[in-house]
Amino acid sequence: MVRRLLLLNGLAVIGAVLYHASGWGFTAMFWWTDRYAAVTVPDFSQMGSIPYYGLRLVVQLIIFSIPAFLFVSGFFTAFATGRDQLTVSWKVIGTRIKNLAIPYLLWTGAIIVTNVLAGQLYTPARLFQEIVFGKAAPPYYYVPLIIQLYLLSPFLIRFARTHVRALLIIAAILQFSVQTIKYVELLGVNLPSSNLLQIFTASWFFPGHIFWYVFGITVKFNLPSMKKWLDKYKWVFLGLLIVLIPIGMFEWEVILHASEVGWLAHQRTLINELYSLMFLLCFLAFEWFPIPPSKRINALGPKSFGVYLAHSPVLQYASRGMYHLTPWILGVQILFQPILLILGIGVPLLLMKIVEHSPARRFYAYIFG
Amino acid sequence: MDTQTILTDYVKEELLKGRKMEIKPEDDLLSAGILDSLGILQMVAFIEDRFGYQVPDEDVVFENFVSIEALTNYLKANQ
Repeated sequence: MVRRLLLLNGLAVIGAVLYHASGWGFTAMFWWTDRYAAVTVPDFSQMGSIPYYGLRLVVQLIIFSIPAFLFVSGFFTAFATGRDQLTVSWKVIGTRIKNLAIPYLLWTGAIIVTNVLAGQLYTPARLFQEIVFGKAAPPYYYVPLIIQLYLLSPFLIRFARTHVRALLIIAAILQFSVQTIKYVELLGVNLPSSNLLQIFTASWFFPGHIFWYVFGITVKFNLPSMKKWLDKYKWVFLGLLIVLIPIGMFEWEVILHASEVGWLAHQRTLINELYSLMFLLCFLAFEWFPIPPSKRINALGPKSFGVYLAHSPVLQYASRGMYHLTPWILGVQILFQPILLILGIGVPLLLMKIVEHSPARRFYAYIFG
Repeated sequence: MDTQTILTDYVKEELLKGRKMEIKPEDDLLSAGILDSLGILQMVAFIEDRFGYQVPDEDVVFENFVSIEALTNYLKANQ
């Protein structure tokens, strides 16, 4: 099972690239439509079309990415605790945070400098938000999030050693509460103290994701009993996984129509979280199930943090480049999406290769983690 | 090549990622930030491929992977 986590990480980073590529796909579909058709934008006439549902299906299928990253990190923290230690050492946590923070700050700094050179204005408040909350690029919220979870680790592990079920239940309730509040926000209902609730449900804040991290810790600490449990219920998990795909897609359409705002950028919902849980359980339970290009995906696993940091600016420049140079591609999602996927993974890997074989090799870990 | 040398070479080549560091067999790889979550998974995969030994999930613990020396001893005892 442990070795398969490398494959899980590889699949998760492909999923992350696909997720953000689909975001550019929706942009091309609704806001850049005038680049390839005689319409006024935003134009939502493609909503309900085959390409639209194709993108929605992709988003639904790969929504497990962030839970998978957090699960593997929680698993690692439990590993780093050892058999007999009460909790994980602050030294291990400090080193892990340093190794994540340096590349993150470097990429965030590069994006901010590029934006300033392009004429964007940065107030101290915006600068603070982009660095501390990971808002320089859409996927960057993950780094402040995982740092918070690592900082909580010594307490979580101590609790998991003695009350693992209670910890798992508390984490699930906390995350469930955040998701419930999110539904209210998505439907545009104004609640008292909604500013406070917005912080509580922010993607960079740990309560909305803590279950996945705790789940990783739990699996590591209870591996033999977990394996038996997974084997007993694996077909139930698979059945639920399959059923939750159309339910998740249908749920988002209902939310979109009920919100009456025309368009909403996708956000995680309770059904998505259930789907992610079933995906992880199936992945662990069916460890004998072969995934054809697993060697290549395995190789991607160790490079996932570098790909994660670098893919966002790559997708942005690639999409904007096509907007100016080859706008017809924007109207052909079956071509646009594979191009973004190949560039989103290929360009970061190429950058890594170049750095690896240059005098800058000694800075590799600081650039790509 | 003996097991310890093979493991040291692997750590230097794949896990140091270009950082200039002297690695002693007894160095704590986790505290030094050389082994992270993916590093451990890479190491498990490497052992399986290079030594043909499948590390049981229950043996993937801090005590066996904390240093090159610990890992060498583990492999000697179990191979």
